[in-house]
Amino acid sequence: MLKSKRKRKEVCETVLYTLPALLLVTLMMYIPFVMSGYYSLTKWNGIAKDAEFIGLDNFVTIFSKSRDFTDSLLFTGKYTFLFVILSNVIALFLAVCLTKKFRLANLMRGMFFIPYIMSMTIVGFIWKFIFTQGFAKLADITGWALWDLSWLGSPSLAFYSVVFVGVWQSLGFYIVLYIAGLQALPADVLEAAVVDGASNRQRFFRITLPLLGPSMTTCVFMSLTNGLKVFDIILALTKGGPGGATYSVTLQIYKEAFQNNNYGLGSAESIIYFLVVLILTQLVLRVFSRREVDL
Amino acid sequence: MHTKAKKNIQKLLFFIILTLASLIYIYPVFLMFMNSLKPFGEIVRDAIALPTLPEWANYSYVIDKINYFRLFGNNVIITVTGIVGIVFFSSAAAYILDRRTSRYTRIAYLIIITPMLIPFQTIMITLLKTMNIVHLSGSKLGLGFQYWGFGIPMATFIYFNFMKTIPKEIDESARIDGASTTVTFFSVIFPLLKSVTVTVIVLDVMWIWNDFLLPLLMVNSNNSTKTLVLAAYTFVGQMNTKWHFAMTAMVLAVTPSILIFIFLQKYIVEGVVAGAVKG
Repeated sequence: MLKSKRKRKEVCETVLYTLPALLLVTLMMYIPFVMSGYYSLTKWNGIAKDAEFIGLDNFVTIFSKSRDFTDSLLFTGKYTFLFVILSNVIALFLAVCLTKKFRLANLMRGMFFIPYIMSMTIVGFIWKFIFTQGFAKLADITGWALWDLSWLGSPSLAFYSVVFVGVWQSLGFYIVLYIAGLQALPADVLEAAVVDGASNRQRFFRITLPLLGPSMTTCVFMSLTNGLKVFDIILALTKGGPGGATYSVTLQIYKEAFQNNNYGLGSAESIIYFLVVLILTQLVLRVFSRREVDL
Repeated sequence: MHTKAKKNIQKLLFFIILTLASLIYIYPVFLMFMNSLKPFGEIVRDAIALPTLPEWANYSYVIDKINYFRLFGNNVIITVTGIVGIVFFSSAAAYILDRRTSRYTRIAYLIIITPMLIPFQTIMITLLKTMNIVHLSGSKLGLGFQYWGFGIPMATFIYFNFMKTIPKEIDESARIDGASTTVTFFSVIFPLLKSVTVTVIVLDVMWIWNDFLLPLLMVNSNNSTKTLVLAAYTFVGQMNTKWHFAMTAMVLAVTPSILIFIFLQKYIVEGVVAGAVKG
């Protein structure tokens, strides 16, 4: 009798401790998610009380009526690809430099990290200013044609400008992750390599790099998800322009729903986006964790 | 002797290049501060030189115009509300989910952490509708509450993984002393979670303080509920060519984060690393 009473109390406690988290997650994530699934099958302008059920028409429309969504998918793919490669290669290189022992190393790490703690919107504006006002002045001083190019005004250059600013903003984050990985490397293995006469380059490519597997998986995974999410920087820097050349999927969904008031279409796009993100991240995660080396 | 001298020169060269690189890297931030202190004409004439005479009037104008102190207060209210709920609900859930294993807790755990896979943009359209229905949109506290739902999955995951490292004997000895589950959790377990709590707070403060899209959807319609970043965004949009005011607003928006970073660099970097590795 006493035992069952205690048992009941335990069950009550279990429910009580977990219920707030369960309810909040359901309200903020699951309900909107299920609703997105439903509205993706409807024609809905966001204001009308009832959405008209139209089956899979939205998904057909997305890929047949205009190229906006496909273009934004392509842009996001290209952006993410370049973003992942650049931020990882540069961050790894700088992390190796910054783990050398010298005074000011800590200060420099801090300097590379500062853009990461700033709001991405502000970062976008700073660079918009530099690309227009700053570059104009640099062109005056140096006379180099490089500064006179239309970095935000021409579609192909705007793409690289957006990638550049994206990498600049978040590089510090990947640097500190790689530094943490480098510092956790087993010193005895590296020392053994020195004793065996391995050159700097051999040590890096044969020992350091393979052993950094877990850090690399983390960094590639994080940069992948961050790249696929790109939104604020583009909104501040180019607003998707020139001529729609820098519309990311997230910006496209935002425009479709909140500017064009096609909530049904926007929901359908958001469901496709969800599937793309899910498949890509799981794929990359699997490939990278399989290649990690254990000691 | 000769090779040693050569090595030293190499080292010095490496150091100089690295210093230059980091200075160029941070220069845009410096540029923003500099230009916030110039009158309009001077920015247009020379955007990269130091200001001849600091124009503090930019600051008094912008602080007054965007109602800076209220915005700052809004950010604090939203961030603190968000953090307190995330830390409290996640740690409590993770504690029970780790200590009591049953079919219920296994399923509950999965339900709580799975939303980590859902990108925010997938649900933003219908989230706005849902939040309108439950009256959480359009208010600072409402926005703070919303961060609970978005922050809990990741925080619970991090707490749950750490909870395994706290021996169950600690709970048992507290129980023998007559402490209830609630007392055990708050006075024995929660203090032991300090390092993870720091990680969760660092990650979530950086996220909530600088967040843009969710506030844009939820609190942008009214000046009294705007956040710092939102106001800076609108203001810079309106001041589109008045760069001196735009720069000042941007400086005002990022200065709190930079100051906090300078004082708490160690904790912030550690928290970010720990969060990424565990998350």
